[in-house]
Amino acid sequence: MSPVLVGSTGFVLLLVLLLLRIPVAFAMFTIGFAGIWLLNGLQAATGLLSSETFALASNSELIVVPLFILMGNVASVTGMSRRLYEAAYATIGQVRGGLAAATVIGCGGFAALSGSSVASALTMGRTALAEMDRFNYDPRLSTGVVAAGGTLGILIPPSTGFVIYAILTEQSIGRLFMAGILPGILLLTLFLLTVLLLCTLKPALGPKGPSTTLAEKRRAFLGAIPILVVILLTIGGIYTGIFSPTEAAGVGAALVIGIGALSGTLDLRSFWQAAQSSVVTTASVMLILIAAHLINPFIALSHLPAEVSRMLVSFDLGAYGTLVLILAIYLVLGCFLEGLAMLVLTLPIFMPVVLSLGIDPIWFGVLVVLTLEMGLISPPVGINVFIVKSVAKNVPLVEIFWGVIPFWLAMLVTLGLLVAIPQLSLWLPGMM
Amino acid sequence: MRAMLQKTADGLISLSAFLGTLGLLFVVGVIVVDVIGRNFGMPLYGAQDLVIMTMVIIVFGGMALCARDDGHIVVDIFEPHFSPRLNRAIDVGAGLLGAVIFVLIAYTVFKSAQLSQMLNLSTNLLRLPTAWFQYALCALSLVAALALMMRAACSALGIRPAPASGQETP
Amino acid sequence: QELKYANWAPPFHTITEAQIEPLAKAIDEGTSGAVTLRAFHGGELGAGPADQYVRIVQGTADMGWGLPGYTSSQFPKTLILELPGALPLDQPGYAALWRAYEGELKSEFPMTEAIALWGAEPNILMMKDKQVTSPGDLKGLKIRVAGSIAAEAMEALGATPVQLPMTQVYNGLQTGLIDGLVSGASVLSDFKLSEVVSSVTTGPNLGRLTFYTVMNKPVYDGLSGEAKAALDAVKGEAISKQTEEAWVATAAEALDAARASSEITVNDLDAAQSKAFDDALAQVTDAYVAEVGGAAALAAMRGE
Ligand code: NA
Ligand code: NA
Repeated sequence: MSPVLVGSTGFVLLLVLLLLRIPVAFAMFTIGFAGIWLLNGLQAATGLLSSETFALASNSELIVVPLFILMGNVASVTGMSRRLYEAAYATIGQVRGGLAAATVIGCGGFAALSGSSVASALTMGRTALAEMDRFNYDPRLSTGVVAAGGTLGILIPPSTGFVIYAILTEQSIGRLFMAGILPGILLLTLFLLTVLLLCTLKPALGPKGPSTTLAEKRRAFLGAIPILVVILLTIGGIYTGIFSPTEAAGVGAALVIGIGALSGTLDLRSFWQAAQSSVVTTASVMLILIAAHLINPFIALSHLPAEVSRMLVSFDLGAYGTLVLILAIYLVLGCFLEGLAMLVLTLPIFMPVVLSLGIDPIWFGVLVVLTLEMGLISPPVGINVFIVKSVAKNVPLVEIFWGVIPFWLAMLVTLGLLVAIPQLSLWLPGMM
Repeated sequence: MRAMLQKTADGLISLSAFLGTLGLLFVVGVIVVDVIGRNFGMPLYGAQDLVIMTMVIIVFGGMALCARDDGHIVVDIFEPHFSPRLNRAIDVGAGLLGAVIFVLIAYTVFKSAQLSQMLNLSTNLLRLPTAWFQYALCALSLVAALALMMRAACSALGIRPAPASGQETP
Repeated sequence: QELKYANWAPPFHTITEAQIEPLAKAIDEGTSGAVTLRAFHGGELGAGPADQYVRIVQGTADMGWGLPGYTSSQFPKTLILELPGALPLDQPGYAALWRAYEGELKSEFPMTEAIALWGAEPNILMMKDKQVTSPGDLKGLKIRVAGSIAAEAMEALGATPVQLPMTQVYNGLQTGLIDGLVSGASVLSDFKLSEVVSSVTTGPNLGRLTFYTVMNKPVYDGLSGEAKAALDAVKGEAISKQTEEAWVATAAEALDAARASSEITVNDLDAAQSKAFDDALAQVTDAYVAEVGGAAALAAMRGE
């Protein structure tokens, strides 16, 4: 069996296992391990299984996963996130879907704090889902908003996606960060419009709240001050260099714990339960990330990306045609692969093609990162959807996938606009 | 006999989650001390070593409880369309597959730990031996495998297990 | 037979042209194409340099390169070359490593065949918004370091060492999380640091990074006579020299660009200015060599 055939068969089998309701991580482990075994021998497969497992479980940047979950959990048991949503509800609750819109804006804010989409979806999910549920928002809308809004983490700087792209393609990190700003705002705006449109078409998704007096608004706002202080301190600490974005997760967790303890809203028992449930959620998220890192070498060994690109070049479609085809390939690959792994696998192959066609690499970087974001919520392997599922146990996964579809379409529209108008990406970095 | 097995397993699962939770709180403390110290010119020596090695305990400490509480994420699109028999068979199969995976992880990481000892691998500043944490990962994986086998057994016998103590989410 | 070379760096990195391609060419030509070398770039076979040695031993890849400094406990004597003042800055590192290899270092490379050992360009100080011309200028500054040796060196100079992943250094400099870093000049181009660094200090002997390329021992022993002869003809000093020279050239290019840039000040300290640093660092080097019992290894590296 040729490596390419093994690779393609692997994709199909992965899909079958997932649809058979085998846990996502187990299915990916099985296919990755078996594929590497077939293509590179048992010794290589066991070697990768142990080294990837330990390397990811001791990865200094992924420590943000348990820390942000802890921050979200404690903010939730102490009522801090509830008061934040009460403030938002008092302010824009009388607008249909107002809380979902506030959540989108919250995701944008969190994206400016974190470079990773996983962290964004986890924290926002922990904070926002129960609250929207309390105000009778349809879980389809609330989970869709969080899963899609969380992806803003890698488009709005700082962004791990842009850093990896810059290093793989020798582009400027600073220019890429600048290039991501306008598309990030554009996408955020389209998400907001999507929420409003959905709630206009189907008001039950995000019901209107009662109107509030100025005094009620002020009281609700005062209640939200502790969590707003935590958010400001955390973002401020990053931008003034007091701590790194990774450490910010730990500092943020410590701040909510401290405020909770001092204000008497956090007793030892609920604190321990919040911490233990963070560890359990971490386990389910990290096991998927580890498994995704076994799929990565399997695809590399299958020569699949190289074969696809050879085919691509032979089509000879011109600059725009090839660009669209490459983006389409990213959308398909994004259904199966973890985002950053996808960059590593494909950029060495696509970059020479892109450069030879005279496509601006900064522009291409923005387009690619946007397709990565779309991959994070495309079935069957949509990491952000799994993450939202891990904090919203009672919502069926299929509901979440339905919920993200309108936002996925908004991203597709954004992608189209960015392809049609390169200046949206290139204007800001051009000012540098 | 079965009751005793169940009790032992529950004890191990709770212990494993306890260690992971303790690890998480420890990491919060380390980061705060390091950040404050660094801004006064006295960073915590080897803070990163402590964080990354404790992370192993956090990540794998939660695996068993996650398995026991059915916390591993599944694509449930067709669940309502499958017959109850098929759904039960899938549960048993998934539990056994997961147990095999965790045993395999434990075995291969055990081999790596022996290699780490031979190569004298340790963290860069505090010289914490890598092998210690690899052995810990093996032990925690085996507890996770045990939890998954018990899930599979319960599904096969048609028993709905009692909810675990730490299951309720805040 | 297809040999797999694991490269955790991007495909455009110096290593590809300087080492992987020449090795591939030598093996291909020496065996008339019967044995080939295929590179897996960007960490396709597993990310990062830290686990490379283990990956080669476990057979995930047949050959690969890494930095002893990432797993310093495995390479106490090899790392002597990284010490400040271990070797004059204008002397090649690869020659020093190979002088010491058979007698002193070989036991640090079990279960593999050493293909290449080389040193990087000299370490320099790269700062944001600060100028460093004397050790006193470093007092209280937060400097990103790669490992324990550099951490002790920075402490000896009065700075606060900070551990940070290389991919976060750009942001860290920008926000002021760190004031600078100590590393070779090639990071200015490799990690785009020239965009955020505002001053560079050269002259003091701050040591240099070291690298290895190893091959899985059973795979090496199992090569056909033809393939082994082809590989033996280039491995060792020959390919190491070629790699190190490419490294130094990349760094020189980055440093020239920094000199040409109006945004970056380059402070080239003279012998007298450098001596203040070197004197302060001598104790770090002496203490390390004594701790690992490395006097003989150091002497061998220096050709004494
Ligand atoms: Na971001
Ligand atoms: Na996907």
